[in-house]
Amino acid sequence: MAVLELSGLTKRFGAFTALDDISLQIERGEVHCLLGENGAGKSTLCNLVFGVHRPDAGTMTLGGEPFHPRGPAEALQRGVVMVHQHFSLVPNMSVAENLMLGRASAVLKPQDIIVRMEQLAAEYGLEIDPEARIEDLSVGERQRVEIIKCLLGDPQLLVLDEPTAVLQPDEIDALLAICRQVALRGKSVILVTHKLGEISRVADRTTVLRQGRIIETVAMEGADIRSLVRSMVGRDVQSAGSVLAAAVDIEGKTPVKPSGDAGPASPGEAVLEISDLVYRDPHGVPRLDGLSLTVGTGEIVGIAGVEGNGQTELGLILAGLAAPSAGAIVVGGTSVGGCSPQEITDAGVGIVPEDRHAVACIKELSVAENLFLGAIGKFSRFGLLDKSARRKAAEAMMRDFDVRASSPDVSMASLSGGNQQKAVLARELSLDPLVFLLAAQPTRGLDVGAIEAVYNRIRAARDDGLGVLLISSELEELMAVSDRIAVIYRGKLVGELAAGSFSREAIGAMMSGHAHV
Amino acid sequence: MVMKNPKLARVAQGARLELVPLQVVVPVVSTIIALGIGLVIIAATGASVVEAIEAFWDGMAGSDFNIGASINRAISLALVGLGFIFASRANLTNVGGEGQIAMGGMFATAAALHGAGGLPLGLAFIVPLAVGTLAGAVWGGLAGVLKAARGTNEVISTLLLSFIALPLVYWSVESFHLLRKPISDVSSLPESAEIPDSTKLPLLFPDNGSPLHIGLLIAAIAVVVVWLVLRHSSLGLRLRAVGLNAMASRRAGMRTSFYVILAMTVSGGLGGLGGAIMILGQQFYLTSDFSSGYGFDGLVVGLLSRGSAVGVVIGALLFGFLRSGSINMEISAQVPSAVVLICQGLIVIIIAGSAILTNRKVTR
Repeated sequence: MAVLELSGLTKRFGAFTALDDISLQIERGEVHCLLGENGAGKSTLCNLVFGVHRPDAGTMTLGGEPFHPRGPAEALQRGVVMVHQHFSLVPNMSVAENLMLGRASAVLKPQDIIVRMEQLAAEYGLEIDPEARIEDLSVGERQRVEIIKCLLGDPQLLVLDEPTAVLQPDEIDALLAICRQVALRGKSVILVTHKLGEISRVADRTTVLRQGRIIETVAMEGADIRSLVRSMVGRDVQSAGSVLAAAVDIEGKTPVKPSGDAGPASPGEAVLEISDLVYRDPHGVPRLDGLSLTVGTGEIVGIAGVEGNGQTELGLILAGLAAPSAGAIVVGGTSVGGCSPQEITDAGVGIVPEDRHAVACIKELSVAENLFLGAIGKFSRFGLLDKSARRKAAEAMMRDFDVRASSPDVSMASLSGGNQQKAVLARELSLDPLVFLLAAQPTRGLDVGAIEAVYNRIRAARDDGLGVLLISSELEELMAVSDRIAVIYRGKLVGELAAGSFSREAIGAMMSGHAHV
Repeated sequence: MVMKNPKLARVAQGARLELVPLQVVVPVVSTIIALGIGLVIIAATGASVVEAIEAFWDGMAGSDFNIGASINRAISLALVGLGFIFASRANLTNVGGEGQIAMGGMFATAAALHGAGGLPLGLAFIVPLAVGTLAGAVWGGLAGVLKAARGTNEVISTLLLSFIALPLVYWSVESFHLLRKPISDVSSLPESAEIPDSTKLPLLFPDNGSPLHIGLLIAAIAVVVVWLVLRHSSLGLRLRAVGLNAMASRRAGMRTSFYVILAMTVSGGLGGLGGAIMILGQQFYLTSDFSSGYGFDGLVVGLLSRGSAVGVVIGALLFGFLRSGSINMEISAQVPSAVVLICQGLIVIIIAGSAILTNRKVTR
């Protein structure tokens, strides 16, 4: 019996049709995965079900009754709950206090919450200390709190929007097990993901979305993963090469480097030397705790780690956006620790920042303006901009780096994530001098084709003799691209593997702080 | 932000395609609606609507003198409005025009009364103008420094700086050792002495009795310079970048604090120049309330222009003429000039409301 039934659902944002005539049934007790690339409409679909947006056409029924939530509150009341990618927890309050928020009547009864938590722990294995403060919990544990919050009210339908993106391998396993438990108890789960490995482990059925339409809905028993990939990207898997396998994380397939890749160049002298780097955040918490690292010319060094172990801070310090508390950073013989972004650029450092929208580009400005954001004065005479010269230079750059936009004058926001990232790479790789490139989470949120292009650019930069530091939370990505992988844990490097000896299990163990190599 | 009405959605769609017409249509339509409501209010007060309209028109443009006076009013409004759009290019909201006018006017008076009067070659009025500009620049720049160093919201700091500047003017015209003129008889008001003739701004048409002065040329130059800087200069692009995304601008090598302070300094300087022109061009002596809301009207002009220097000119002329008309309407037809203030308020509300229509962004 269907819990949720969608028929003819359409949602437009201005001229853009995010969802087009979606009809779908979610059965009672099933885990239903939504698979699709970025922009396929997965999140929009979730937001319609959770009442964040309202459809322009089509109907929804929940448990046989018409269901048209005017907001999340109404969806919650009807038994639809959702865990968003960004958690809504109060960091300095305890788990139990957070769970009471939003359901607190005049009299708080902490005892009731704790009893209910014990029940949930017994039923689903969702164990967590009710007294622990949120800020002391890991990302995986915080997500568990969110799930408990959802299950407190005994919902009919649990929606999880890309829940595994922030988790380390063993936490992903635990989450998928919880999903199965929830389904076993007659509730339904909608799980949004773009990782095929997870789908084959947890889903009963999978619906593939592409460009706002349903391509197919398949039962997972005996389903062909390859054909799902084809539906998802809309072209043959082979054309995307091994990169695709890395991107979608196909179970058990360790990607091999594509033929034609010259393989790791032999690393030369050091271009980046970090020694004993310490960074304390404004609260005095050490985020980097004596990190030392060397990157040579013609070498890609990957940094693996669960998010929140100091990668972000390392990226900010290398970009000149945060000043280290102690330690030294030397690039090509010049000390750049604590220098301004301009001085770091002048030393020959290119930065592909982790947060594309907050740091890498200004989405309201045009593509040309973004390509020359650091060189505004280059196209200026007597203080006035020479826009036609800039446009010409931008066009050449867009051609070289395959940045697809109708013109250099369109806003950065109108580009796809992949083209935005290609523009950022174009800008940073065109710096002169350039000896070192930091690429932090360079493929986050990109579609398969763009991921391939980014990898090729990074490899080409390495082959040109650059030293590259690749920070990524995608293990498969690091294994596909790096010449050497170092693992960061609590602000320190805890181990290193050379090319040829990469092992998912070994890296995973180091990432969770369990083993040293 | 869900568009409920599909028809509205289509209108908004069209608006994005042809931005220019709607940007003109909206202010014009809202002005007409607001004036219509104004007429209803006038009728409701029991005054003769015809008489009020006649008095209003006469005050705005009834004679060369009145036209000149209206344009003179528009000059200061335009300068404050230009200052507003300059700061807003860097995503800063300078609501302290009133205080910047006050500082500009006060220091220009001081310069004119103490020393500048004897200078040759037009320096007699240029120096007070420059001093007034500088004073406004310091007052605006202060808010910029607070923002850059401490993150203080510039809306609050510029507003509070205005509340400091206005009593400073009051103090200066109350104190004999500052700017108050000596008491000559019992009816002497707390105000400064009249500035020397040499420091008054030269008239453009001295023969036909129009009070129009060269402030018009100064304002015209300011319009062109601000337009060039904001639209076509590397500085304008940097200001915009810093305003849109300080973090990305910093990464790209810009000193964001510098541009914040610069934007507020220039913005305040334009306000100060507006204040100096009010004293040197029309009022000739400083009173405690000489700025009389020009800063806030100028702020509205800047808001309505939606960042366009040409829009500032149009808005300033509109408000300058409205102000002249309302003064005459109160004198001749006994209709409270507050009616015009109500109309101004309505214009702002309607235009701000319609911004939702024109600015609606595509959200996913």
